[in-house]
Parts: sequence; C-alpha cells; structure tokens
Amino acid sequence: MDRRTVLKGLAGAGGLALTGLSAPAIAQGASARTLRFVPQANLANFDPIWGTQYVVRNAAALVWDTLYGIDAQLQPQRQMIESEETSDDGKTWTFRLRPGLKFHDGEPVLAKDAVASLSRWAARDPMGLMIIAIQQELTAVDDRTFKWVLKQPFPKMLYALAKNNAPCSFIMPERIAKTDPFKQITEYVGSGPMKFAKSEWVPGAKSVFEKFTDYVPRQEKASWLAGGKQILVDRVEWIVMPDPATAAAALQNGEVDWWENPIADLVPVLKKNKNISVDIGDPLGNIGSFRMNHLFAPFNDVRARRAVLMALSQEDYMRAIVGDDNALWKPLPGFFTPDTPVYNEMGGEILKGKRDFDAAKKLLAESGYSGQPVTCLVAQDQPITKAQGDVTADLLKRLGMNVDFVATDWGTVGSRRAAKTPPGQGGWNMFHSWHAGADCITPAAYTAIRANGDKAWFGWPNSPNTEKEIAGWFDAKSVEEEKAAIGRVNKAAIEDVVYAPTGFFLTYTAWRKNVSGIAKGPLPFFWGVSKSA
Amino acid sequence: MLSYILRRVVATLPVMAIVALFVFSLLYIAPGDPAVVIAGDQASPEDVERIRQSLGLDRPFLVQFGSWVWRILHGDLGTSIFTNLPVSAMIGQRLGPTLSLMIVTLLLTIVVAVPLGVVAAWKAGSLIDRVIMGFAVFGFSLPVFVVGYMLAYIFALELEWLPVQGYTPLNQGFWPWLENLILPAIALGCVYIALVARITRAAMLEVLQQDYIRTAKAKGLGQGGILFIHALKNAAVPIVTVIGIGIALLIGGAVVTESVFAIPGLGRLTIDAILRRDYPVIQGIVLLFSFVYVLVNLMIDVIYTLVDPRIRY
Repeated sequence: MDRRTVLKGLAGAGGLALTGLSAPAIAQGASARTLRFVPQANLANFDPIWGTQYVVRNAAALVWDTLYGIDAQLQPQRQMIESEETSDDGKTWTFRLRPGLKFHDGEPVLAKDAVASLSRWAARDPMGLMIIAIQQELTAVDDRTFKWVLKQPFPKMLYALAKNNAPCSFIMPERIAKTDPFKQITEYVGSGPMKFAKSEWVPGAKSVFEKFTDYVPRQEKASWLAGGKQILVDRVEWIVMPDPATAAAALQNGEVDWWENPIADLVPVLKKNKNISVDIGDPLGNIGSFRMNHLFAPFNDVRARRAVLMALSQEDYMRAIVGDDNALWKPLPGFFTPDTPVYNEMGGEILKGKRDFDAAKKLLAESGYSGQPVTCLVAQDQPITKAQGDVTADLLKRLGMNVDFVATDWGTVGSRRAAKTPPGQGGWNMFHSWHAGADCITPAAYTAIRANGDKAWFGWPNSPNTEKEIAGWFDAKSVEEEKAAIGRVNKAAIEDVVYAPTGFFLTYTAWRKNVSGIAKGPLPFFWGVSKSA
Repeated sequence: MLSYILRRVVATLPVMAIVALFVFSLLYIAPGDPAVVIAGDQASPEDVERIRQSLGLDRPFLVQFGSWVWRILHGDLGTSIFTNLPVSAMIGQRLGPTLSLMIVTLLLTIVVAVPLGVVAAWKAGSLIDRVIMGFAVFGFSLPVFVVGYMLAYIFALELEWLPVQGYTPLNQGFWPWLENLILPAIALGCVYIALVARITRAAMLEVLQQDYIRTAKAKGLGQGGILFIHALKNAAVPIVTVIGIGIALLIGGAVVTESVFAIPGLGRLTIDAILRRDYPVIQGIVLLFSFVYVLVNLMIDVIYTLVDPRIRY
C-alpha cells in the first residue's frame, strides 16, 4: 500500500464522519471505459454552424454525422448517404439516405432534416454560398430522398458535403436546423456516434460525450470522417487545461489519457516517459502566414510586398514556432499543403534560396517607401502568432522599415484587423495568423487565398489573375487538370503576393500507452480508439 | 447592530451600481469584439456584422446598458454570448470550486500563520523568529505559479501523493474533494500565510509590551494562557483586518492558481470571459465580486465588535 492510498483511507474515514457522504467506487473497468482527452482549446459554444472554431468542429464530429465524409486519401465517401445520382446535364443531384438512421432523441433521420440542415450550413459556408448562388431548389422528395437542383453544374458538390473544414455540413433535426444560421442553437441532438451530455457541460472546463448505442456504423473500415465509426469506450471527457505544463503533468500522472496538442517545448519531457506515446498528430499540418494590407501604403504597392518575400527566411519563422525539431517543419515555396495530390510549387522561386536583402531594399525603395510607420498587429496570447510577430519585426527593421509593433491580445487583433481605415486611424499594415493544412489543399475551403478585393479575407488583396485561376480549379474535371490549375493559382498568388507564407509546420499529439487506435488526421478521431485498464 | 448591518447592506446597492456602470463603460470602449471571436478566423466581415446584430452589439451604449440594468433589476444576469447559457448558471457552476479553494486556503492560513506569528513575536529576535520571518519573506516573494509548479512536480509527479489538476465536488466524498485542493491551497496560501504571520507578529509584539501582560506574567499565568488568551485577543483587530483584506488577494490569486491546477472556478471563468469579450459574464462576475468585497468588509466590522467590546456602531 502506498502513501497516497493510506492518506486516502485516513481522510476518507474522516470525510465520512464529517459529511456523511462517500466517494463513489469507481471500478477499474469503468475507468477504462472513459477516455479523458485534453482538447486544443475550450469548447465555449456548441453550434458548429454558428461558431466555426476548430474545437467546435472537432466536438461536433462526435455528435453530428455528415452525408459524406472525407477519407485519408482526401476523397469524399458516402456516410449517411446510401446512393446519389446526377442528371446528365450535371444540374440535378438526387440523394438517398441510408435506412435506419436515428437521432439521439430516437426520431428517424428524414430527408426534410437533411434539407433544413444543408440550407443552414450553406448560408455560412464559402462553398455552400457558391451552391446557393446557382441553386434552383433544394427539396425533400420522400422521407429518404431529397434533390438539389442547380442552374449550372457544380462538379465539387460531393467534396463540399464531405470536407472537414468548418463549417461542416452536419445534419440536425429539422426543428433545430431551422434556427437562423447567425443565431445559436440550444439543443444538441445529432445522429452521430456519441451523445453530448449537456447537463455535465462546464464551458471552459469540461465537456462529456456518451456512446450512442443506437448508432449503426457503416461496414467499411473507418478512415478520417468516412467509414465505420465504431466507438469503443462508453464516455469521452474533454478536460480543458489552460496551462500546457499542467496538461503535461496530468498526462504523465495518468490523470488524462490523450493530449491533442502538446506544445513543442514540453514534447522532450513527454518523449522521455515510458508510459507515453508521442507522434505527429495531423500530417496535413499548418501553414504560417502574415498578411499585408493591400489597401494602404506601403503594401498597396506590389513591389513592397515582393520586397518582403525576397527577404523573409521561412526557417527563422519555423524555428521560432517549433524550436530545433527539424521533423516539425519544412520550407513552403507557395500556398498549398505539401504532400497532397495536387500540391504544386509553380512560381515559388522568390521564396527559395539565399535571402537577398540588398535587392529587397532596392525594390522597397522603388515602391516609394519613405520611412512611414508600418503597423504590425501581434496577438501575444497565441504562441504561434507571437513567435511570428517577433520574427517579422526583426525582418522589417533589417529592411529599414519603421515598425509600429502593436502587441496585444487575440480579441483585439481579431477586431482591429477588420478595420479598413488607414493604419494611423485605427487600421493596420500587417497581422499574423496560420491556416490548417487541411483547409489549404485546394481553393475549395481556402479563404486566405482568395483575392477578390473587398470580398477577400482581411488585407483585401485584389488579384484578378489569382481569382481567374481559382475559378479554373473549380471547373477542373480530373486530378491532372486540378494539379495544373493549382500550379497556376500558386504562381499568380505569389506574383501578386496575396499574403506571405512563412512555412509549413506540424504539431505533435501525445497519449498514454494504454490507449490504442489513435489515427493521424486533421482532427482527433475517437472512433476506433480504445483504452485498457 | 442590526440596523447598522441593514444600512451597510443597503449601501452596497449604489456601490455595485457604480461599479457596474464603470465596468460596462470600460468594456464598451475597450478594443475587441466577441462577434469576431465567435465567427472564427475565416469569417468574412459580413458574417461578423450579422453576428454583432444578432447579439445586439451594434446597439448604442445607453440602450445596451439600460437593457442590462433592466435585466439585473429583474434578477436576470443575462445570457453568455458564447455558451448561450444563463450567466447565473455559469457562475453557479464555478462558485463551488472557488469557494472551496478559498475556504481551504483561509483555514490553512489561520492554522499556520497565526501560531507562527505568535511564536515569532514571543521569541522576537531569536533564531526561531528569524527563521519564521525568513520563510515569510520567501513565501511573500515567490509567485503563485512558481510555487504551484514546484508543488505539482514534487507531490504529484515525483511522489505521486496528490493529483496535478481538477476539482471534485464535496458531495462525491471528502477526500476526493480535499485531495484536489491541498496543493492549490498551499500555492495560493504562501503569500497569504506570509502576510498574516508578519502582521500577527507585529500586532503581538505591541501587545506583549503592555502592562497587563507584565501583570499576567507576574501573577504566574502560563505561557499559552498569556499568548493565546490575553495577548492574541487584544492583537486580533489588525489580524482580522489583514485576513479580510487578504480575501481580495485570494480572489486575484485564484485566477492564476485555478489555471495552474486546472480548477474550473470563477477565476478561470473571468479570464476566459475577458479574452473572449463575453460581456454579460464579465459583468455578472464583477457584480458578484463587488458584493463579496462589501460583505467581507461588513463581516470584518462586525467581528471587530466581537474581539474588541470598546468598538460600537
């Protein structure tokens, strides 16, 4: 008997005397059937259409199923769908639901639920908005069949319904899905493999999911968001740990089983522990970025933006983010996710090779830059943006620029970057961010690559060439055509410097060795994960 | 006394109203926008604006403030922008852990700091006194998170005696409740113990030089009787004051402690709400804390009358 057991026994006896209450006897088996998981962030809300944070999407994938799911080969596969048909002209899609699908409240999943859910999703999703723009009607034909009639073909329909970037097209009961897409739902009823235990939800601290026993998994092997989602534990508890050191200690101590996203500094400690496995979590990684404001000097001149690209060292950025672990980063001469089927580096020469400060300074001078302050927004409370901000400040100073370094919090950066006023009047010249590699495989979900001026993401780049090539990708009908189109998008976006990519980086995930079945992917997949005592 | 307590309680209402107005104004003019956080990183400005409108954040300051005050007057603290849950329910969820942490820390402080201060005063100038005061300076100088990490490393990771994180409600057993609070309470209590021990020593030193103590010694009263019956009671006013003021320290310290030990208390809720600009939650917590401060001050005043019969209101 160890010291802790003795202490527990003594205090337990005292406690009984004082409170008359006893601790519940948690059998070893019960503990093994509960998986305790530390997510990347706090689950502060739980409407995956209203709020598009990754953490909400990750939790939602447990509770709500999708019609199609993207697999590890990045292909859309049927999930809630039994079959689909496309008309000869490519304008009418007819979908049939799998039989026996049930919501957590016991009600069957019907075509009208899918119609309402897709309507709500499409109002908030970039690809969904593209579909709405050419939609003629979306209607239920019978209980299990619905059709989407378009005014023109949309070849990427199945990808849109399967993609994993937020918001995903999760299917909810019609009464819930009829909620205004800009208002939050209050019922969390899905047909996914786990139920959300709302009564145990402590936002900011704990979220609990229970196995949905009526869930009927597909027969295929699970692959990312597709295939048979077999849940092998009774409960999954998400425990929010704001302090990485505490999360590391809790994992070492066996108080939690799986930590989604350990910070690079603590990985060596975890690797030394014989009870812990550490591996790359998401092979699609992340793309670091800083965006320049195309509306105002100096970055309204493409020469100033190119000057920055000529001088920036992606290695400096990546080392600031991941430290000395070379397995965690690689240079990225472009905008798209490496090692994916249509990856292309066409036109990426400016980001390769030795950095040329002299040429960059000359180009900057040609752009007319004359020493005006460059307002650089940096969110200090996000380690990735903080690290990038420090490197950028140094880079700009070495280029001879006058840096107005605004160190603040993410909430402030998030709102200030939306200001289109000049930098001296509450606006900005640059800010830092990063994009999940899963969102940057193609232009489908890649908001940051869009360059349609006022409608583009913050920085409002206006590059008709980039937009033309993006449209070309949407029309592509084969992988070869897609790959060629992606190359042209990359080239055009680099020529006009839509934004500055600072490199490709990976992150680790860590789990106790009594947990098995953890798959690498763009989000944590709980199906197929089991835990022994 | 009863009328005095009633007057004080009634007097808290304008204080809380002023605090509420101040906090509401401060948040209104501070940069940051909850709609941006909700919409996510990839959202368009149009999406953000639609969310702002749906939350009523686009309405004028006076309309927003008036609507909030109206709800408060009806006993409604509002709804969290992010979770869509009632603020009162969220505060209720988090009150237990924070109260537990504060109670255990307070008890620990009183049990450890007061005797240490008394002994240091009794042995003033001796090695014992210097050692106790040395520890007090040490405890006062170390930040809560440093002590927290050290304790977690030694007692949780190395010795495996206590858990690193979490909170278990008391209704699930006394030990499960207490074992999660021991390390946080020690970490949080270090500064507090140091402060109370030093004040106790100073107050005791002053009292121990009084004539009646000399008289007590002369008539052969035992050491314990002199220290804990005669001296301590008369030194209690400044000690009670510093313990009361220390509750403010505890609330501040709880923010860090709850993060280090992943305790789902009000401190963490406050930080999360501020970072997300969840205005209704911040306002609710500020109101609660204001009320707690006023009540603690009131309790201190009442305790004065108990320890010093000369004090009357």
